[in-house]
Amino acid sequence: MKFSELLSKLVADTCDVSLPLFGPELCIIGAIVGLLLVRLCNFERVLPASFVALAGAGAGLGISLLQFRQFGDAVAEQASTPLFTGLLMYDPFTVFFRVFLLLFLLFVVYLTILSGIPDKEDGPDFYVLLLGATLGMMLMASANHLLMVFLAVEMTSVPSYAMVGFLKGRKLSSEASLKYVVYGAGAAGVMLYGISLLAGLLGAANLTDMAHALLRFSEMHTEFSDPAVRALVLAVLMVLVGLAFKLSLVPFHFWCPDAFEGAAAEVGGFLSVASKAGAFGLLVRVCLALVGPPDHESTSLATVNLYLGVGLGIIAAVTATFGNLAAYSQKNMKRLLAYSTIAHAGYMLMAVAAMMVVLNGSEPPDAVVSRAEAARDCIEGLLYYLVVYFFMNLGAFAIVALIRNKIFSEDIADYAGLARQAPGLAVCMLLCLFSLVGLPPFGGFFGKFVIFASLYNAGFYHASMWVVLAIGGLNTVFSLVYYIRVLKVMFIGSATDDARTIDFSMASNAGRYVLLVSVPVLLLGVLVNPVSQIARQVAKQLF
Amino acid sequence: MPAVELDVYLFVAAVLFVCGAVCMATKRNAIGVLMGVELVLNGANLNFVAFARYTALGLDGQVIALFVIVLAAAEAAVALAIALSFYNNHLTIDVDRGNELHG
Repeated sequence: MKFSELLSKLVADTCDVSLPLFGPELCIIGAIVGLLLVRLCNFERVLPASFVALAGAGAGLGISLLQFRQFGDAVAEQASTPLFTGLLMYDPFTVFFRVFLLLFLLFVVYLTILSGIPDKEDGPDFYVLLLGATLGMMLMASANHLLMVFLAVEMTSVPSYAMVGFLKGRKLSSEASLKYVVYGAGAAGVMLYGISLLAGLLGAANLTDMAHALLRFSEMHTEFSDPAVRALVLAVLMVLVGLAFKLSLVPFHFWCPDAFEGAAAEVGGFLSVASKAGAFGLLVRVCLALVGPPDHESTSLATVNLYLGVGLGIIAAVTATFGNLAAYSQKNMKRLLAYSTIAHAGYMLMAVAAMMVVLNGSEPPDAVVSRAEAARDCIEGLLYYLVVYFFMNLGAFAIVALIRNKIFSEDIADYAGLARQAPGLAVCMLLCLFSLVGLPPFGGFFGKFVIFASLYNAGFYHASMWVVLAIGGLNTVFSLVYYIRVLKVMFIGSATDDARTIDFSMASNAGRYVLLVSVPVLLLGVLVNPVSQIARQVAKQLF
Repeated sequence: MPAVELDVYLFVAAVLFVCGAVCMATKRNAIGVLMGVELVLNGANLNFVAFARYTALGLDGQVIALFVIVLAAAEAAVALAIALSFYNNHLTIDVDRGNELHG
């Protein structure tokens, strides 16, 4: 093929196929450029930066909702399209995460307008970082090439470091961002080295090609004592280190409480939900690439992957337990929520572990549902949990931010008597925290229920999943205690005389915002079907 | 001239990686830690380029290496800005002196 032919083919592919499907990301890119121009030409007075950010996020959300509807109309036809010569993958899973992340971005931008962080001077810079990080997360969920895996992780991390340190002149904020950047850069370096070994040993960097290359590799090297196999396992573990850092899994969680305590509550809320969601999307994609092409018969590959699944299950159980135990002694509300974030990452990882075990374990003789069906249930649980987590965690962080604006404190002790001064706010906090525990009839209960059900089914493939299930169940009981402690202070404790009083009206914009975020928590527990059906359809396309 | 085998490149890259990792783990100065990160990234880059020459990875490896070089620069810029902000508040860039967040 001549060079000119190749070039024209590439241009046709990019302009006709890739760019139209890349619309939501292009909107965000446009908004970022717009924000930088606003900064450059001092348009801030005419056009507030938050408005540009909202417009970009809104346009992106509109396009991705349209894309989502198209998938609903044309079932299973052209389920997945590789974009940009296979760098990205466009399928319902991608579009689900785009809608999720852009909707979340809208909510966060509106929250920052309400709570007044950042100030007018820094607005454009802050929103550029926020939009850039979201763009990275959207790429994470659609990455189909090892280069994109690394670029997307870095694109999310680098703006996040800066956002954590955004409160200028605060000792805690600069300390938090320094710790975050040191851990983050280290984890990224290890991950990149792992990626280089993985790509080199398999001779492929595209995740789809990698799945096939892995199968060939497993046929050529069957013994674990083979150095190539050991190097490959090491490479996979190194890649998982980078992902575990993004997901704040034990033992790579150290940055999480420090970063959240030092950062503004709005940034904490953003990182805890959006960056977790993007990283889980990426983890699922990497895991599916490791499983290899569908319906292969290689037992050695399946055995290694089964151990990987069990290992993920163990990490998930340890993470959930650690997060819940460490949250007990916390006095700062943001720090408590950070440990609760760690614990929830553990619960969600259980779904991924169950998926790996189901896909690679030996099928039980009396299986009621097929292997693909069981794996679908795991992904459905993960997605449903993410949707519930969106609202309950954002609600909790938003309430912390709004209370901070009134009493200038984030200590749990200062929340005493909140229920009498601002009953609406306290009740919304109660909704969010009960849902985080997983009590019925809140959304968190159903999310946990689906994940635990998929763990139970995975137990038939490998019994260790039942142990993970038991630990997960016990953790739910542990976690009740520290969430209740916060509520006890808010509802039963009485404020000291010199405490600042909170004057908060639920009829204000902020009050309506809190209602808008916390009511879905209840709705998702009562009206399960709409969201769970969407999650099921998205999961169906993966297997 | 004897041909250089792939193993030699991988060995050098591994030495760079280990030096970087040790540097990250032992240095208390934030700039020192960042230098360790750069060593690790360059070790990985050497891997990519060597694999691109000797295995089926081909041009992908070289392209990845180019992207990583740019990315390392971007990351260093942000990291140095954060180190400066830390210095402004603490008058030191010793990472151990950031000890107000704990628990």
